[in-house]
Amino acid sequence: MGKVNTVLGPIPTEDLGITAMHEHIGFGLPGCDLDTQWWKKPEEAFEVTLQKLRRFREHGGKTFVDCTGIGNGRDIEYFQVLSRRTGVNIVAVTGFVAADSALPYFRKQSVEYLTDLFVREITIGIDGTDAKAGAIKVGVSRGGKLNELDKRIYRAAARAALMTGAPIITHLCVDAQTSIDIFNEEGLPLDRVLFGHADDGGYLDENRDNLIADLGGWVGFDTIGYDSEVEGAPYWSRPRQDRVDHFLRFLKKGYLDRAVISADANCCALGWPGLKGHSVNYLFEEFLPDLRKAGVGEEVFQQLLVHTPAKILTMREPVKPKSLSLERVQV
Amino acid sequence: MLDHLEEKNSGVVLTVLGPIPTKELGVVLIHETLLSVYPGAEYAPEITIDKSEIFDRLKQQMLDFRRAGGKTIIDNSGMFHGRDIKLYETLSKTTGVHIVASTGLGPELMLSGYFVTPQKNPPTPWSAEQFSALFAKEVTEGIAVPRIERSSSAGIVTSIASQTGITEKETSLFRGSAQAAMATGVPVSVQYGADAVAELEILLGVGIAPGRVIIGGLDRLDAVERKDAFAVARHGAYVALDHVGWATNEGYVNDEQRVQLIVELFNQGLGDRVLISTNAVGVAKGHKAKDISYDYLLTKFVPMLHRAGLTDEQVRILLEENPQRVLTVDASAEQKVTGWNFEWDKLYQPATY
Repeated sequence: MGKVNTVLGPIPTEDLGITAMHEHIGFGLPGCDLDTQWWKKPEEAFEVTLQKLRRFREHGGKTFVDCTGIGNGRDIEYFQVLSRRTGVNIVAVTGFVAADSALPYFRKQSVEYLTDLFVREITIGIDGTDAKAGAIKVGVSRGGKLNELDKRIYRAAARAALMTGAPIITHLCVDAQTSIDIFNEEGLPLDRVLFGHADDGGYLDENRDNLIADLGGWVGFDTIGYDSEVEGAPYWSRPRQDRVDHFLRFLKKGYLDRAVISADANCCALGWPGLKGHSVNYLFEEFLPDLRKAGVGEEVFQQLLVHTPAKILTMREPVKPKSLSLERVQV
Repeated sequence: MLDHLEEKNSGVVLTVLGPIPTKELGVVLIHETLLSVYPGAEYAPEITIDKSEIFDRLKQQMLDFRRAGGKTIIDNSGMFHGRDIKLYETLSKTTGVHIVASTGLGPELMLSGYFVTPQKNPPTPWSAEQFSALFAKEVTEGIAVPRIERSSSAGIVTSIASQTGITEKETSLFRGSAQAAMATGVPVSVQYGADAVAELEILLGVGIAPGRVIIGGLDRLDAVERKDAFAVARHGAYVALDHVGWATNEGYVNDEQRVQLIVELFNQGLGDRVLISTNAVGVAKGHKAKDISYDYLLTKFVPMLHRAGLTDEQVRILLEENPQRVLTVDASAEQKVTGWNFEWDKLYQPATY
C-alpha cells in the first residue's frame, strides 16, 4: 500500500497497526530548558516514558506519532532509542507547533526557506541524522487566529506536503477557513490534512467540524483525556462526558471515516507540569470503554485507530506545487 | 573614594572559573560576545556548529587580546544567544584570560515562547519578578547548562531594548534584570533602545544604585547628538562607549569622535563613569557580525586616546579601574552566591506519571 517514515526508517503502511496520531514524548516551549523547575532526572524521565510506551504496546498500540515541532523538545536520537527499546514505531514531524513556539531564527524566514526546511527533514533527515519526518506540524498561535507567521508556515507546509507526499497535522483548527484557503491556494487536497484539536475545550465549533469533514479533511478529537474533572487540568480541558458526547454526535452524522482520535499526552512533559496520570493509554483505558458503553462497536475502533491513520500517514506520490516554477523543481 | 579602595582590596568578581579578587582582572573589555548563536540557528540544517573550530577561533582571538595586554573579557550575550559556559571555562583555562559570563535576555525579538506565550490562560508574558528570579539564580546557584547541571556564577546581568523604543516586555526585562542585579550584587548592563535616560530611570526605579548600572550603546549617533553619555554619567551610572572601531555607516560615531567624547567626559569630571569596549563577536552562527577582534581596542584605539592627550592614568582608569569597580560584587547584597553543591536530587524535580 505504501510507506511511512519513522525515526528508525521507512516502514510499510501495513506495519502501522494501531496508531496514535497526535502524541508527544515530551513538549516544552523553547526557553524552558533554562528554568530548572522543569528539570527531571534523565533516568527517571526515561523510565516513565518507557513504561507508558510499553503499556501502549500491551494495549496493542504499534505506532506513536510525536507531534513535537522543531525546538520544542523534538529529540530524534532519544526517539530512536525509545523506539528500539519498546518496539513502538515513532513517527517524528517536521514543522512547528505554532508560530509562537518557533524560535527567532525561524520566525524571520521566508515561505521558500521554510518549504526547503520541511522538505529536507522529510527527504534527507532531521538534525544531522538520517531519520526522516513522517508528517508536517503546523498550528495556530495563542489568540485563536492565524497570525502572519502562522500563515507563512501553513503555506510552506502545504508546498512541502505536495512535494514530499507527507501529511500535515495541525495544532488547533480554530480559524479553519483561513487555513483551508491557504491549502486551496496551494492546491493541497484537504485529505492530506489532519485538523487537530477539534475537541479543545476553548475552541469548540461543531459547524466547523462538519465543514472540514465535508471538504474531505480529517477532524482530530485528539486532546482526549484533558478532562476538567482532573486536578491540575490545563486550560484546554473540558468535562469528560462533553467530549464523549461531542464525538458521538460527530459519528452519528456519518463522519466516522473523517474522525481521528488521540490523547496529545506527554510521556514526560518538558516545560510545563503535564497532566498527572495522563498518557496515550487513556484512549484504551478510558475513552474506548466510554464509547463501548454508548454502544460503539470494535469495527469502529479499528477504523479510528488503524485504517484512518494508515490513510493519512501513507506518503503520497510527490507532485509539483502549482506555486513553484518548473526550474525550481528541477533543481 | 575610601570605600572604592576598600572594595578594590577585598572585593571579588564572578568569573567562569569562580570568584577572583578584583585586582586580578587587569585590563577589561566590558562588553563583548564570545559565541553568538541566533536563537534557533542550532536547529537549522545549513548551520554547522563545530565546537573544535569555534574553540580554535575564540582561543586565537583571546590570545591576541592577551598578547596586547588584555586580561579579562565580559561575555554579554545573556543566557539564550549561544552562551556555552563549559566551553568558556575551557577557554579561560587554556588562554589565561578571565571570562565573566552573563545572565539575562533580550531584546523582545530574541525572546522565545516560554517567556512570551506561557502555557496558561491568558498567556501573560513573564513579569519582572519572574525574570528576576530566573536571572538571580544564575548568579547565586550558577549558570544553567540546560537540563544537565548548574555551573559557575554569572557575573553580570544583561539586557537589550529595541532601537525603535523599549517595549512592554523589555521594560519587564529591564526591571527584572535590575532586581536580580540588586539582589545578588552583580552589575546590570543594558543596551539602550531609543531613550537612554528614560531607560536608565526604569532600572533605577527598582531601587538599584546608579553605580551598579551600565548603560551601553552610548556611542550611537543619536545618543552622542543628545549628549546622553553626560546625562547618564551625571546620574552616577556607567556610560559604556562599547562600539569602539564601529563607524557612522553602522550607526555609531567613528573613533575620532569617540575619542573626543571621552576627552570631554574626563574634562567634565565624569571620567570615573566611562567604560569602553568593542562589542565584538568572536564567533557568530546564524547571523552576520562586524569583523573586529578583541585586540583592536588595545592596539588601535588606545594609541588614539594617548595622541588626544589622555594620560596613562586616565587610560588605566578607563581600562582597569572603572570596569573593576563596577564588576566587583556588592558584598552587602541580600542573596549570596551559594553555588550548586552537586546534589543531583536538589536540582531535579521528580517525574510524574
